[in-house]
Amino acid sequence: MKIEPVPVLSPFRGFSAFLWTEVLVQAHENLAMATSMVVQGVLLVFVWILDPALIGVALVGAILFSMFAMGQRVLNEAAYVRIDHKANDLYLAGPLSPEAYFLGMSAGILVVYIAPVVILWVLAIEVVHFSVAVGLLLLALSACVWLFAASVGYVFSTFFRDNRAIWAYSSLFFNVFGVLPPVFYPFGKFPEALRPVVLLMPPSAAAAIVQQAIGATTLTSGQLLLASAGLAVETVAIFVFAIYWARRTVREN
Amino acid sequence: MVTADTAFPNVPTRGRALPAFLIVGWRWIGRNPAVTVAPILLPFIFLYFLTFISPPSLLPLEIIGAMLFTMQNIGSWVLGDSATWRIECSLQDMFVASPLGRIRYLFGIAFSNLIAMLPALAILALLLAWVGGQHGVPLTPYAALVLVGSLTTLWVQFSSIGIAISSRVRTQREIWPVGNLTFTILGMLSPLYYPLSALPPVWQDAARFLPATYAALLVQGAMGITPATGMQMLLYAGLLAVTTAAVLVVTLRLYRWGEL
Repeated sequence: MKIEPVPVLSPFRGFSAFLWTEVLVQAHENLAMATSMVVQGVLLVFVWILDPALIGVALVGAILFSMFAMGQRVLNEAAYVRIDHKANDLYLAGPLSPEAYFLGMSAGILVVYIAPVVILWVLAIEVVHFSVAVGLLLLALSACVWLFAASVGYVFSTFFRDNRAIWAYSSLFFNVFGVLPPVFYPFGKFPEALRPVVLLMPPSAAAAIVQQAIGATTLTSGQLLLASAGLAVETVAIFVFAIYWARRTVREN
Repeated sequence: MVTADTAFPNVPTRGRALPAFLIVGWRWIGRNPAVTVAPILLPFIFLYFLTFISPPSLLPLEIIGAMLFTMQNIGSWVLGDSATWRIECSLQDMFVASPLGRIRYLFGIAFSNLIAMLPALAILALLLAWVGGQHGVPLTPYAALVLVGSLTTLWVQFSSIGIAISSRVRTQREIWPVGNLTFTILGMLSPLYYPLSALPPVWQDAARFLPATYAALLVQGAMGITPATGMQMLLYAGLLAVTTAAVLVVTLRLYRWGEL
């Protein structure tokens, strides 16, 4: 009798297939795509009308916030697929690995929702005139913020049992972490006593580093270290936890 | 012939819709208290953000804006509730078959959502009275009356917009983006958080077609934040009434009830 060799299953198997599945799904969500820019649009309008001198800082903040808000889309999408469509059982019964499901969904959302962020990039380049090095720094920080937010979004999505509650909780989380701290306004305007706290929040940590790079704020070396190390450690930690959680919740389901 | 009356002689043909919807609203909050926190916090988040980028003298105006924006957001909640009940729970068929008319249904949902917003409005009113007093623009009984009238008008108006849109929404996935987009854009186009004069001329012209603009101007005028003569106040009140009537005519035409 011929014994078939057991296929070696790699982690992240099916990532690209699910990424493009998600791209096709999200590409039909024109309304959601427009909605993804509402908060950024509102805050940019506030800044433009009330303090136009801060528009450069606000545009850079809007880029980082947009990457952060993609976590909210991941949360909504993962919860909808599981609660409303019950399609995750179908996806995960196949060869698709749980971590590829999570990361493929997040990357698919990124691919589709990146278009309005590109417009913010163009506006930021026009207004701030930053160098290539600062542009690369902003790109790297945006990637960190996206990975953090997508991981948090996916983990949170597994806690929901009711579709109706999702948007309220998710918008609360993403607005509190993205709007209250100094993301759209200079770090120096934030109360001094609470600055270490916001430097430990990924969106405001990234914003503070970019603001320092474009000369909009001055960070001490300790603050810069806290922001950079905090962002790196938190991103890696939550990403690893999201992979673990994706695998665990599949077994539970 | 057997009629509904003979077969079910005790079926009520009248009901107290508002108390019933009050309980519905209260139960929703009671079971999901954190759900109420998000829409309540949003105006405060905006206010907090604005303190960093605007002159302190604008704070009373911004608090009024937050109150009007909160009332406007009820429309989004009405949209969400009504659409969820219709699409997910298939409850609207039951309401259509009951003695409850579509207008009482609209007010019922609007009322149940108003319950959730009252804590935020109360906090903002206290804040307005305190901050207004400090900035030399006290919340007089006259200003309070104008404020309540404007809030009530916006409540009716935006609830009707919410329910009209909800009757046209087809899937669950559309509810949140449609509501968020509609009510945030309407809120931002009107000069709620900034003076009308701060807007570019084209925007000012567009804002004059929106009812919330006149609600904001009325309250700002009554409190003395944006000076207005008696004639101007009458004009604002008249325009608020006219735009509200126009909104109600359009939304009631859009609003699908029994013909689903």
